[in-house]
Amino acid sequence: MASIARSALLRQTAAFPKFSVATQAIARQSAIANSVRATAAFHTTAQRALLPPLPQHVDGSVNDPAPVPAPSPSHGSYHWTFDRLVAASLIPLTITPFAAGSLNPAMDAFLCATILIHSHTGFQQIIIDYVPTRRVPRTRKLFTWGLNAATAVVGLALYEFETTDVGITEAIKRVWSA
Amino acid sequence: MAALRSTSARILGASRPVFRVAAPVRGFANLADAAQESQTASGSESKLKTFQIYRWNPDTPTEKPRMQKYTLDLNKTGPMVLDALIRIKNELDPTLTFRRSCREGICGSCAMNINGTNTLACLCRIPAEDSAELKIYPLPHTYVVKDLVPDLTQFYKQYKSIKPYLQRDTPSPDGKEYRQSKVDRKKLDGLYECILCACCSTSCPSYWWNSEEYLGPAILLQSYRWLADSRDERTAERMDALNNSMSLYRCHTILNCTRTCPKGLNPGLAIAQIKKEMAF
Repeated sequence: MASIARSALLRQTAAFPKFSVATQAIARQSAIANSVRATAAFHTTAQRALLPPLPQHVDGSVNDPAPVPAPSPSHGSYHWTFDRLVAASLIPLTITPFAAGSLNPAMDAFLCATILIHSHTGFQQIIIDYVPTRRVPRTRKLFTWGLNAATAVVGLALYEFETTDVGITEAIKRVWSA
Repeated sequence: MAALRSTSARILGASRPVFRVAAPVRGFANLADAAQESQTASGSESKLKTFQIYRWNPDTPTEKPRMQKYTLDLNKTGPMVLDALIRIKNELDPTLTFRRSCREGICGSCAMNINGTNTLACLCRIPAEDSAELKIYPLPHTYVVKDLVPDLTQFYKQYKSIKPYLQRDTPSPDGKEYRQSKVDRKKLDGLYECILCACCSTSCPSYWWNSEEYLGPAILLQSYRWLADSRDERTAERMDALNNSMSLYRCHTILNCTRTCPKGLNPGLAIAQIKKEMAF
């Protein structure tokens, strides 16, 4: 556990065998230089400051409580419960057609719908986390509607696939055995 | 690594080996220890350890934060990181700034990021087994007041917003204290021990991105402490205050909070309990 938690740089210096103090210091310095070079070479992506932190801002006085939002179960508890039910129902829906070996179009359609809803809510969570309304309200709107549009398009595509082609379970079966 | 000791090691005290050879006469142990200690102090060479500490001074805001190195002889320093920090402040650099009070893990003042883990400096042993430099940063994603002192204004404001006190209208039947059964009292174990050191909240990525609206593991643990209290009569109102997309449901069960808690509590479990109780 300790070795995982420690950064690679620290681990390299720690792993170095213990020579006399002078050689150890030199060896460690070169080890650090090497590892820094290796790390620099490893990270190929440019560092961009997306949404850098703003200067600190305190609403009201320091003794006021933080504002409590109005309750909205459809975004809170109901949404969470629905999410869990969808996620849990995916497990039997995925296993059953392969275990039973039968292809039921109604079940196939239900599986498609559940996958679609599951991925929609998943992406929604990511957008809520990383595109905050308080910071970038218009971008948030763009992302939300972009997600809605993507879900609609995928839904339409799945509908076409189910009605005019073999359906998702049969497609996976064929890809699997191909 | 000292910061990541297992809970059992923490309870037993990490310095003590688990299976210790019993000393024949307990009364002489202290004398023998003292003799050994003085021998190591004079006999062996000094055991040097370098500490890299985050420094930033608000008086010179244009200067970038930097890591400053201090080297101490571990044979002359106490076992904990806080001992080393106090010694650095006393003997090497009086400008080093950090919060500390009780030095025994009950006040929560000395919470900081030591070798990449949020923990209390007073409960974190200096790893003596290797010669690697120890890195000390303030709590991550906080506004830094100076050096290792983070600004916890938002944290305390959020704590105030959950009304962390007993709320009830009906007086107790006998006009004395509000009683609860042993079973009900047991529900508060693992919740009331929280010292609000902010180690868990500042280790939570969800709290990093959304600390303005998401309450964070520490505050939610406290929230559950009052939801679970059998004497409290405002459970419905407390749940309503959490029932929106941001306050509670930004928790994605990352469990950094549980892993980092220096008191060995489980905020992740408390949040899961709140979600479960609010589910239907």
